[in-house]
Amino acid sequence: MTAFTAHLRNETRLLLREPAALIFGALLPLAAIIVMTAIPAARNAVLDFGGRSVIELYQPTLVLFATSVLGLTIVPAILGGYRQLGVLRRLRTTPASPAGLLAALFVVVAAVGLIVTALLVLIPGLAGAGVPKDLGLFLLAGTLGLVAFLALGTVLAAVVRSPQAAAGIGNLVAAIMWFSAGLWLPRVFFPDWLVTLTDLTPGGAATQAMLDAAAGAPASWQPYVVLLAWTALGAGVAVRVFRWE
Amino acid sequence: MALITVSGLTKSYGARTVLHGVDLSVDEGEIVGVLGPNGSGKTTAVECIGGLRTRDAGTVDIAGMDPATDPPELREILGMQLQQARLPAKMRVGEALELYAAFYADPRPASELLDRFGLAEHVRQPFGKLSGGQQQRLSIALALIGRPRIAFLDELTTGLDPAARREIWEYLKLLRAEGVTMLLVTHFMEEAAYLCDRVVILEQGRIVADGTPAEIAGATGQQETSFDHDPELDLAGLERLPGVVSVIIERGRVVVRGDADSPQAVLAALTAVGVAARGLRVTSPSLDDAYLTLTRDGSTR
Repeated sequence: MTAFTAHLRNETRLLLREPAALIFGALLPLAAIIVMTAIPAARNAVLDFGGRSVIELYQPTLVLFATSVLGLTIVPAILGGYRQLGVLRRLRTTPASPAGLLAALFVVVAAVGLIVTALLVLIPGLAGAGVPKDLGLFLLAGTLGLVAFLALGTVLAAVVRSPQAAAGIGNLVAAIMWFSAGLWLPRVFFPDWLVTLTDLTPGGAATQAMLDAAAGAPASWQPYVVLLAWTALGAGVAVRVFRWE
Repeated sequence: MALITVSGLTKSYGARTVLHGVDLSVDEGEIVGVLGPNGSGKTTAVECIGGLRTRDAGTVDIAGMDPATDPPELREILGMQLQQARLPAKMRVGEALELYAAFYADPRPASELLDRFGLAEHVRQPFGKLSGGQQQRLSIALALIGRPRIAFLDELTTGLDPAARREIWEYLKLLRAEGVTMLLVTHFMEEAAYLCDRVVILEQGRIVADGTPAEIAGATGQQETSFDHDPELDLAGLERLPGVVSVIIERGRVVVRGDADSPQAVLAALTAVGVAARGLRVTSPSLDDAYLTLTRDGSTR
């Protein structure tokens, strides 16, 4: 077994034992989509929603909820905890690089995010409540959002020393993402200025791209650029600022 | 041949200089103890030598490598047990050993370490549920799992009960027999005297003593010969004996302090005047005494 596979196994086990990660990042959005799928009316097109159904409208929001919780709160909590406990320090005494642990952590968290995203599409799809019209773009937007949140979560872990504070700030940022994604007020009701503003956040951009893909509307390049820009910014800052100890 | 050579090792934290040009050489197969009061720079020294902290000046050579450049081969041959390095609370004992074993080319079998460190029955227990002593033992096991040629063990047995401490000492003796070179940071004179071929005493970032435990104890300590007081005895005569430094009466006993030859001289003198030395006791100078004399701890007493 290589060091990376060992880390991967270990991080998978540990993440599965972390109820907060699974409840907020996976179970809650899955429960929401199951409930929506179970309500027949949620499948009907709603004129006020621009002809979309409740499921179609909230599916991107739920994907965004799951991926932002995983990236923005779980990653800083785990990473900050590892640094505080001296886990990264101990790893430096071994031939395995701590970078292997980071990589394994990203892979595991990303895998959970992708599985949850897939289930959020699959559950209503299998129940006959419809799938996004442009499935490929929908998944691409969701994945790019997830990657951006992983990068930004690592920045939080790098900048905020205490893992509790980093996760707390992560929650706040995630809440802004949820708002941008239309969790409390669907984006179709946003005034133009708020659409423009939230389109610049990774939450707003990913959600808009997923909404467009779900409706089969012509794809705009703008949200993808926004997501890639946040990822590049996050990764750049994290690489510069992150310290093992 | 020296496996570890340190010369002029200097390290400051801001304006505070923690190590003032430390020189140290450790031969292959040797167990060297690093002693010193809290804040004397022991941990900093070991972490600089191990390449976990950047030194300000001086050179360090471990088996031909400079740890500051962090060569991956060094991590294969050097196992380090650090103070205050914990594991995730939900990681189990067996999982930790399995994970760390995966980092090395030829790891020690986890079962051997589990047995040696009394952890076999806790293999499925999460780290957070272990007692302090069990966590400490796991930490040592992780430092040794890679079959290192060299082991740095910081505060090896702090927090362990005497039985567990003995077990770990016995295991380290086995490792010594295998030829493992060790640098032990310790607070316990008993541990140093029991395990170490050589000890260095660090005081305010300088090495103030370097030698075998017996040499260091002998260099500053005195032999003490004591026996029940007999009124017939001429105490002034004892004081004139060669090598005797002082003669006092303490709680009804005569206590003679002097060099290594003084007990012999005292006994010969007693025999010559026909006085029986009842309740005779000769105590060797201890490493404890030497340590207290050499360090700040001693000067404040």
